[in-house]
Amino acid sequence: MMDEITTELFEHLVELAAFAFNPEEAEYLRRELNQQLKAVRQLEAVPLDESIPPASHGVTYNSETKPELREDVWEPCDNPDEILGQAPQVEDGYIVVPDIPHTKLD
Amino acid sequence: MTDYEAVIGLETHIQLNTTTKIFCGCKADSWEEPPNTNICPVCAGLPGVLPVLNKAAVRKGALLAAAMNAEIRLKSFFDRKNYFYPDLPKGYQISQYDVALGNGGYLNLPMPSGEVRQVNIVKLHLEEDAGKTKMEHGRRYIDFNRCGVPLVEMVTGPDLRSADEAAQYLIRLRQLLRWIGVSEGNMEKGHLRCDANVSIRAAGSTELNTKTEIKNVNSIEAVRAAINKEIERQIVLVESGGRVEAWTLDWDDTHQRLNKMRSKETEADYRYFREPDLLPLELTEEWLQSVLTELPELPLERRARFMNEYDLPEYDADILTGDRPISDYFESTVKAYQGDPKVVSNWIMNEILRMLNELGIDADKLILSPEHLVQVIKMVDEGTINNATGKALLAKVQESGKPPAAIVEQEGLAQVSDDLALGAVIDKVLVEHPDEVSSYREGKEGLLGWFMGQVMRETRGKADPGLTRELLQRALKGEG
Amino acid sequence: MSILDKSAFSIAESIKAGELSAVVVLDAALDRIAAVDGRPGSLGVGELSQEDKTKVHAFITLTEERAREQAENIDARVSAGETVGPLSGVPITIKDIYCVKDTPSTAASRILANFTAPYTATAVKRLEAAGALTLGKVNLDEFTYGSSTESSAFQPSTRNPWDMERVPGGSSGGSTASVAAGEALLSLGTDTAGSIRQPAAFCGVVGLKPTYGRVSRYGLIAFGSSLDCPGPVARDVRDAAMMLSVMAGADPRDSTAAREPIPDYLESLEKGIEGMRIGLSPDYMQITFPDPDTGELVRQSLPVEIREATLRAAEILAEQGAEIVENVPMPNTIYGIPAYFVVSRVEAASNLHRYDGVKYGCRTNSEFRNLREMYRKTRAEGFGLQPKLRILMGMYVSAAQYSEEYYQRALRVRSLIRSDFEAAFDPKGAYRVDALLTPTTPTTAFKMADIYGDSVLMQYADQLTVPANHAGVPGISIPGGVSDEGLPIGIQLLASDFKEETLFRVGHAFEQATADADWRRVKPQVLRDM
Repeated sequence: MMDEITTELFEHLVELAAFAFNPEEAEYLRRELNQQLKAVRQLEAVPLDESIPPASHGVTYNSETKPELREDVWEPCDNPDEILGQAPQVEDGYIVVPDIPHTKLD
Repeated sequence: MTDYEAVIGLETHIQLNTTTKIFCGCKADSWEEPPNTNICPVCAGLPGVLPVLNKAAVRKGALLAAAMNAEIRLKSFFDRKNYFYPDLPKGYQISQYDVALGNGGYLNLPMPSGEVRQVNIVKLHLEEDAGKTKMEHGRRYIDFNRCGVPLVEMVTGPDLRSADEAAQYLIRLRQLLRWIGVSEGNMEKGHLRCDANVSIRAAGSTELNTKTEIKNVNSIEAVRAAINKEIERQIVLVESGGRVEAWTLDWDDTHQRLNKMRSKETEADYRYFREPDLLPLELTEEWLQSVLTELPELPLERRARFMNEYDLPEYDADILTGDRPISDYFESTVKAYQGDPKVVSNWIMNEILRMLNELGIDADKLILSPEHLVQVIKMVDEGTINNATGKALLAKVQESGKPPAAIVEQEGLAQVSDDLALGAVIDKVLVEHPDEVSSYREGKEGLLGWFMGQVMRETRGKADPGLTRELLQRALKGEG
Repeated sequence: MSILDKSAFSIAESIKAGELSAVVVLDAALDRIAAVDGRPGSLGVGELSQEDKTKVHAFITLTEERAREQAENIDARVSAGETVGPLSGVPITIKDIYCVKDTPSTAASRILANFTAPYTATAVKRLEAAGALTLGKVNLDEFTYGSSTESSAFQPSTRNPWDMERVPGGSSGGSTASVAAGEALLSLGTDTAGSIRQPAAFCGVVGLKPTYGRVSRYGLIAFGSSLDCPGPVARDVRDAAMMLSVMAGADPRDSTAAREPIPDYLESLEKGIEGMRIGLSPDYMQITFPDPDTGELVRQSLPVEIREATLRAAEILAEQGAEIVENVPMPNTIYGIPAYFVVSRVEAASNLHRYDGVKYGCRTNSEFRNLREMYRKTRAEGFGLQPKLRILMGMYVSAAQYSEEYYQRALRVRSLIRSDFEAAFDPKGAYRVDALLTPTTPTTAFKMADIYGDSVLMQYADQLTVPANHAGVPGISIPGGVSDEGLPIGIQLLASDFKEETLFRVGHAFEQATADADWRRVKPQVLRDM
């Protein structure tokens, strides 16, 4: 049976996920994914009536249980410096990362 | 040689002027702040954080949708738009994809030709802003202060036909945003951002060709220049047998040129799905009604009404509906004056606007109220003071806060209209300047203005100009 | 008898009454940890020593100073005659998936190994405010992806206190093991597909997955946002109920935390179960999965021991006055796992986008020429195998061209799974049950390295627990017996939305009725020599 996730498609997924693998890892992961997909295929056989809606959550909320929207009131964070302190590279209060190349238009 | 037509659509991002960000309690406006100081775990995208929707952002979004004649959906959803970018801390942006707050809508754009173009809105939704990056020495410096600021994204259909039309749209949009109070709309401060989609086609054709996207245009003039450059480039390309490709272009304002950014073929697959950390946004009919009642008469509607109701020329009506404070000011003055609205219009366009410019404030902040203005105008109408005095009086009222009549009394600004008094001053002036009198009598009638000036000086500007002119002419002619 | 054999409830009572010192309790817990836990999980460990294999290794980070400060504070306040909270002096552990300010909050992943949280999760805040002593952060499967805790990047991974060659279950393995070994009296875990209930069953403790939205998720490093539930791990039902009362309730920082009133769980515990209708479902007495070669659906009955423990529990509950309703159909149970594969992966892939080396956590040390390369290397080095698999699967089933086929479909299957519960619990329906009684897991704790790596088989083990995550309903696993091999058997109770009260009542009644059972006298291996 043909693999659902081909090597080419796998490369595309790796691209989407911003990963990088050596050939052995890539092959191992690709095979594992295809194995798991066999389980997922069960979903195809489920008889789904038109009327069955997608459910983003299982529980239902009503107007009493639904949390309210937030009031537009300023709530300053007391330790933004500690948040910034977690960054691997900081300069003058900015977080630093390498550039993404541009191409000039002729 | 083919005649080409440009097809332009604009994608705008409007920063709402709420107090706080859309999903957390940090400030929405941090223009002046040092980098990464207006942040919290939520907008910095730390592990474990969750978004909580700002009700003011919803209200302003709905107000804008209503002003754009869009349908406001009573139930709309937030979705995640997933992609990697350093100024997007969560690695996804919370936006609205297929069932957004606004549905449809349009802006009626008046053209210089007199025609009104309906610019359709194809997308109107709420979303969160990303941070800012600046490029230096081959590295990116990232500031998250702006992450999470509430935005409304509004996309037009391909309904504009020139760079000037695009500029007009942005001008009217900015006016509208400030009018209904949802955004300052200042492009230079990033409150209003615009990307332009540009393509060309043979004039008269209805098909849509490949378009390019222009980014990083930070002023209305930049939009105009960039679009013009791109139309030109596309025409040249097509004329020489080339094919327009779906490039993303970056506008370099310093060098006034376009650079290619990235090819659209490798555009990310955003994998939109419903944001599980937020419940559907559900609005009630009552709430919606309360928003709609908050919607004022819009600028273009009011402009038309001023032309109709007050018989004002388009030029005047346009200026007097430039912003809501000045137009409210004008209308209050007209209602209190109960005379010719054109008179009020002239006073405002000539004097009040200049004063506002000099003071750097809006009309609703003037101490010189509409009632004060009416009093001044009436005093001039009645001849109690002359025109020049009236104009000067405006500034005095603004500075002192005292009513005009009181100032006229205190400073003795009342016009001198007494024949005898004026006559005496005129005689004095003529006696003191015999040479000029001779010149006048020999034919230099232009010297009348000079004599007027002398009389005004003597009377400290209070001479009734009409009467003075009459008496001077007689005296110079040797009569009376 | 050690202090640590007491319940959290009785310790808190004694502390509040001034009869017991919180510092004394803390010291007892620290002694126990020193005796049984061995070295904490860390990166780059290499071969395990013989000694390692006899220890529990529940901890990643011990926060002794924090706990001591809390304990001293409580003792001082009690002496001063002040009122202290309902969990005063109770030592607790926190699954290292929660952000706790100033502690390493790692999600058991290399990519967050150096991350110190600048804020505290709401659930933890509430527990600490109630007087609990935070002993430290305990181990889990990396980013909660797994059912054995073995996939943690912090090794040695936790071992089952009942049999040190076996897994404690997962992903909340550190939580349940620390409670089973008496290192803590309570633990805060998370349940996304059974990750509290399954390890609770394996470790012979009580584990509750509350209703989705019952407890705030703010500060819980997200995996499956529509599935994750913070929940208590304890040694008995009353302790679990007490812990839930402290944590539950709306939170202005969580838009999915329901504004549902919190009943007095402790008060209703003693109400008994007279007249309650408790359902049994044949769909929960078997595991159904596709044959790896043919793809055909295979139905396998659960082992006899497990089925019998469940049926015996039903008898005991009947003796306490409950009415047992048999053959309650839950036909969509079999779709729980495939739907979960899809829904959880989509959410996980998205939730893990933020780990890119830009603003926190690890950034690759190897050379990179540009931003894209920095992302790739950071993520490839920082994530273990399980997160990588989930992310890739998530990308696939949510990619534009496949989303309708997989993701949208799975969300609709979720509605079907929910409808099973609605039908069973419907007060006007055919069954009208107050709760469902099922086994928690298809097996007792398996040996380490046994099925780790066989992701499909490991996943199907969650078939009995995952439907409750899809449907959002609450579920509890309580000890229901001990197998012939001396391993705990867990039984599960499921109830409708926000009816944790029912679960506690039934669970408590079962506990009372079996208080003197022989099987309750069996101790975990690690404690037998104490």
